[in-house]
Formats: sequence, C-alpha cells, structure tokens
Amino acid sequence: MSPAAAVCLEAAGCLTALGDAAATHAALLRGECALRPVPVLGTDGGEDVPLALAGGRGLDETAPPSWLPLLHTLAKTIPADAWGSPGRPVFVTSSNFGVGSLHAFRRTGDRAHLAYGTPSLCVEWLAGELGWGTNVTTLSHACVSAHLGLLLASRTLQAGLADRALVFSFDFISPFVAGGFHALKILNAGFPAPYADRPTGSIGLGDGAGFAVLSRERGDFAISAQSLHNEMHHFTANRADGAGFAACLAPVRAAASGRKLWLKGHGTGTLEAGRLESAALASAFPVAPLVSWKGSLGHTLGSCGLVELALATAAVRAGRAPGTVGGAAPSFTPEVALEPFSTAAYDGVVCASNAFGGAHAAFLLTHD
Amino acid sequence: MIERYLHALSLADPGNEDPAATRERLREQFPKGATRRMTQLGLLVGASLNELQPRAEDAIVYATAYGESRTLEAYLDSFPSASPTLFQTSIHPSAVQQAMITRQSAVGEFFPLTGRGQLVATALQTAVLANAPRVLVCGGEERGTWLLENGIASARAFAFALALSAEKTGALARLTLTQGAGAAGELSLPDFFDALVARRALEQSVGCGLRLTLTWT
Repeated sequence: MSPAAAVCLEAAGCLTALGDAAATHAALLRGECALRPVPVLGTDGGEDVPLALAGGRGLDETAPPSWLPLLHTLAKTIPADAWGSPGRPVFVTSSNFGVGSLHAFRRTGDRAHLAYGTPSLCVEWLAGELGWGTNVTTLSHACVSAHLGLLLASRTLQAGLADRALVFSFDFISPFVAGGFHALKILNAGFPAPYADRPTGSIGLGDGAGFAVLSRERGDFAISAQSLHNEMHHFTANRADGAGFAACLAPVRAAASGRKLWLKGHGTGTLEAGRLESAALASAFPVAPLVSWKGSLGHTLGSCGLVELALATAAVRAGRAPGTVGGAAPSFTPEVALEPFSTAAYDGVVCASNAFGGAHAAFLLTHD
Repeated sequence: MIERYLHALSLADPGNEDPAATRERLREQFPKGATRRMTQLGLLVGASLNELQPRAEDAIVYATAYGESRTLEAYLDSFPSASPTLFQTSIHPSAVQQAMITRQSAVGEFFPLTGRGQLVATALQTAVLANAPRVLVCGGEERGTWLLENGIASARAFAFALALSAEKTGALARLTLTQGAGAAGELSLPDFFDALVARRALEQSVGCGLRLTLTWT
C-alpha cells in the first residue's frame, strides 16, 4: 500500500502496570520490570506466568470489570470535545474488549458478567461511561488493532469527514487470554527477553490502554506514513523468508527517506518472529537503534500500538528513549539497544506491531 | 458524498444448517483437508470470498457482530485445559483469516470491524476510504448455542461478500455515503444482508452521521 498523507498527533496518553505515560517512561528508563509471576488461571491456579496487571487489580474478572476506574482515569487526560458526535468520531480498538467476562460467567454462572461479554456490549457500555456519542467505529484485529484505528482515523480526517478524531484502545488480561497464550506455550514460566538470541522464547502479557487525538493541523508530532500487510500464511507463524515484514516496512521506509530514525519494534520475546522482525528492520533501516518495551510491560495485545505510541512521544519529549528492558546479549542484530539512549540526534520513530495471521502494521512518527 | 459501484455479490443463507452439514456441503470449495478445522462462519465467509477471487491488491473489510460464537463457546468449555487451537480460532478476524490462509493469499489491508446498529455504516465508510482499487466487503454470523441462550450470539447464520470499486461500467448497483445525516439511524448487519438478498434499494440514515443509498441497476 502507499503511505497515507501525514496527520497531526495532537495528544497521546496511556496507562500500563507502571502508571501513566510519564511514569511508565521514567520506570522504563530505570530498567524496571512490571511483570510478576501470577497463576495463569487466577484463583483457579495453574503455572506461574509473567503478567503485568495495572492498578493492583487481580487477574479474575469482576462485574463491573475491575479495570473501569483505570479507563476513567485515562479518559480524564483526553482533550475535551464532543467525542462520538458527527465530525468527532471515536475509533475503539481492542483484541480483548470484555471477553474475560465470558470466562467469568462460564466459571461462576453470574449473569452480571454478560453485560460486558461481547465487543459491542462492552464498547456501548464504555461509551456511556465515558460520555461518548454513537459515532464510534470498533475494530479488532488482534495485536495490530490499534494501528487500524490510527489508519482509519487518519483517512477520515483526510477525507474531510472529521476535524478531529479520537483513537482509544484497551486490553486487560484475564484467565481467558492468559490461558490461551499459555496453551500455545509461548506464555510460560520464563520471562521475556525481546530480541535475545537464546534457546527458548517466552512472552509476558500486560494490561494496557491508550489514546491518540489526531487532527489535520494541530500537534507537534505527525504520523507521516502508515502501512499494513497481512501474510495470510499461517495463524501463528510468519513466512520463513521474512517477506511479510519487508512488505509492511517498504512504504514506511520510502516515506522516511532522509530522516534519522530509531525503531520501536514489536519484540514480544518469541524467537522466530523476533529474529525475522529484527532482521527486516535492520535491512530496511540500517544502523537505526531498535527497542522493545514488552520485556517490562508485557504484551499489551491489541492496544500495544497506542500504548507504545504514547511512550514514544514521551521519550522524544524527554529526550531519552528507554532501552530493551529484559533483553540480553547476544541480540539477534547489533542494532538492538539494551540501554537507554538520547533521542536528540533523531527526527523520527518507526513503530511496528505484528499479530496472528501474519498481520503486520507500522507507522512513521515524525517531529521537527 | 462518496460514490462506489458494486461489481460482484456472493450470498450464503444456510438458515439453521448444522455446522457439520455446512462443512460437508462446502468441502469442495476449499483445498483438500482444509475444512477440517474451519468454523461454520469461516466456511460461509470463505465460500463467499472465494467467489470474488481475492487479489493481493484488494483491501478486505470484514463485519461481524459476534464472530466465532461456536468456537468461543468450545474454547470457554475447554478450561481449565484451554485449547490452543480453539483460542487462536476464536479471535475476531478468524473467519477471513481461515479462508485466506487456505488460499495462501496475502493482502495489504484487512479491516475487521464489529458493532451493532452502526456496523454497516462503519464498515461501508471503511471501505470507501480505502485506497485499494477494489475493496471486498464481507461479513456474517454463525448461530450460537449457549451464548445464544444467554442473548449474546446470533440467532441465524449467514454470510456475504461484495466487491466495490470506482468503476461504473458493468456495475450491479451504485452505493453512496453522504455525511450530514445526523447521529440517529442504524442498519444492522442482518438487515443489510436481507436487503442484498432481495436486491432491495436502500436510502436511509445508517448512523455515524451517514446516509446510505444503494440503487440496483
């Protein structure tokens, strides 16, 4: 696909197990790890796996969901507007929505959980809680979901269908999703070490939510190019030649010509995907330092694109990018940055994410 | 106003057909052995997409309110020994991914959407904003069992796929989306599907401030 014209990033924010964007950025700079060993099925037990739960909440879902106060806190930092009205669309993205509530219903029989169990019910409830109107588009494409929201919001602005758009994403861990990744064996007792060349791969999972307000004219950052590619090769594996990664990065690379970049990769801690991703990024953007923050925050799933966008802007504003917390030498490529570095020499960040089905997404965040 | 033309349409309306019967009926439309792990929704959406012969340069927009209800039910029932296969198949975009993976057909843009009264509006808006020369809009539902009994799954199975482009010549229908209709109005996915089956013209507010017209030639 060809890169879309630039849109301005007016505001961005996030919450993670380490706090808001500023607190999370500061903790990452200190090398803190939010992941803790937690029984994979919550009160039902199971193997201890690395999870990063926000706000002191437990893994078991409650009714109403225990993460609602966290979203209220995040929403208070969104610039005020008539969100969800004509001309002020909201794009909600998630891979989980309230699906943990279905697990809770099946486990307990308590029908109170059903009110949050489908994406539609969950978003309609959330829109009411946060005071949004009905102009809400809901997208769910596993771990590239937030990127789709950003791209669609950008196109809505570029087409003149909106003056300002809100992209909002949330994913909170539950036994439903922890149990699934544990069954796939990539969530295990090991802690993630993104891009580390080691014998066994592992991921962590983390709570995460984020937002971005996009407009045509306001903001000191721009999303200058966005790209998607779907391999449709295998549900949980990429093409071995890395062609999917390269196809997604090509339009972003073209748009980034002449810029000095650093890279925020997907970097969950799995081995084959990490190897392919880091090689593709090194090929497309030689010498650009590459970081992943999922070794600390865990994988925030469908929301990782927005959470990490907010952290990238925080890094640029503060002049320092956190390194790959949890990573270790030897890395797959020499460009993997294990320690924090100054962003002063750079004028752009490429942010990339991947998902089931060989889905790839990337965008170029630029600033003057 | 944004205008597009509908060039191909595929519809699947199996009523209360059992998933096993759907699998047997559609087996020949997929590579040998591929249907064994496909869901009813994957089979129905996949067969509809197959008729339109997806191409790498197409964009795909997928609309479903409930997605993989049967798989979701089975996955939840698999606890405490969660099934890895059911987990990966239960994700929202699964039906299209099942179909495209059996075809080994890469595609650039793929937008899986969900919603209720505004789902058709948001899906069609996503489609008309895509840069691809041809956009395949597909969608559907499968009939749930215990989720349906609890009011959170579809009561009917159906699927459709249609191709939209800016090319007027040879079109089956003309579709327009106009902004300024106000916030009210809605069009659910089953109602849109029924209009496609009947080739019924549409002219109404569909939510998100959009007015939809669909005029058959």
